[in-house]
Amino acid sequence: MTHQSHAYHMVNPSPWPLTGALSALLLTSGLIMWFHFNSKTLLLLSMLSNLLTMYQWWRDIVREGTYQGHHTTIVQKGLRYGMVLFIISEVFFFSGFFWAFYHSSLAPTPELGGCWPPTGVFTINPLEVPLLNTSVLLASGVSITWSHHSLMEGDRKQMIQALTITILLGIYFTLLQISEYFEASFAISDGVYGSTFFVATGFHGLHVIIGSTFLLVCLLRQFNFHFTSNHHFGFEAAAWYWHFVDVVWLFLYISIYWWGS
Amino acid sequence: SSRLSPLYLLPPQVSQALTRFFSSSARHGFQNRVAEKQKLFQEKNDLPVHLKGGTTDHFLYRLTMVVTLGGTAYSLYCLGWASFPHKK
Repeated sequence: MTHQSHAYHMVNPSPWPLTGALSALLLTSGLIMWFHFNSKTLLLLSMLSNLLTMYQWWRDIVREGTYQGHHTTIVQKGLRYGMVLFIISEVFFFSGFFWAFYHSSLAPTPELGGCWPPTGVFTINPLEVPLLNTSVLLASGVSITWSHHSLMEGDRKQMIQALTITILLGIYFTLLQISEYFEASFAISDGVYGSTFFVATGFHGLHVIIGSTFLLVCLLRQFNFHFTSNHHFGFEAAAWYWHFVDVVWLFLYISIYWWGS
Repeated sequence: SSRLSPLYLLPPQVSQALTRFFSSSARHGFQNRVAEKQKLFQEKNDLPVHLKGGTTDHFLYRLTMVVTLGGTAYSLYCLGWASFPHKK
């Protein structure tokens, strides 16, 4: 019987990288079939295969860490580096959309009336729902910090309460944004104003939904006693991601909603 | 609940439900079963982690492979179809 003499994690062979890559193929070919030939079959298959892959891959990581003990200190360090690098890549992703916004808004073309906001665009009042949204996300940043400290101090009940509040605030933000999208007097097709507004805020909203889902998974894991007071990296990763989502919103609020109005 | 807690402002059905939900006692369902899972996933049976949980694992694995491999085959068929002109 052989045992390793190092603290690193040699993973079992897994089918999920392959199924994930194939689901990306189905997504891209599915988009072509939908755009050009009005067929949604491949797209639906891509979403199903993507969901199945994500569920099983992350389920396996929980098994490897919590049930098999593979997440030693050095392995956890690697996971931390990984999450940091991923969030940095997301910063670059959003930077592109902010670049596009400032490119168009700092030097508005004659077609827009030479001004920003463009002629005929009635912007959303930044002191109404957008300000509420800002307070909702800032409050959620406080509640997730409360949850983390409760976890580190071994206070199970408060950790669950604070995490639940954080998730509810995330859902509240999403519902408010959806209602704002319906109420807006402009659409994504309304020139470069519409494009920059809805692509930037839309991707942000998607990230709020992803972050809320990640937090919900942490809540379920906490119910099942997965986290200890000094080993809970999944929760920390979710908290980092959540703070990132909050910071992106602050940039959106200041740039697009406030300066851009 | 005591008059010091804002819970007393709510109707008793609501305040009791909230108290029960956030209570840390084991009575209402969530018990620490991590040790059982650790035993299951550390059993020396040479199963890879993605199949080690039981029959549901095998079912989900097969379902995922069918969807992805079947979908890939279908996407190649679509590519073949889209590559040729079709009379409208």
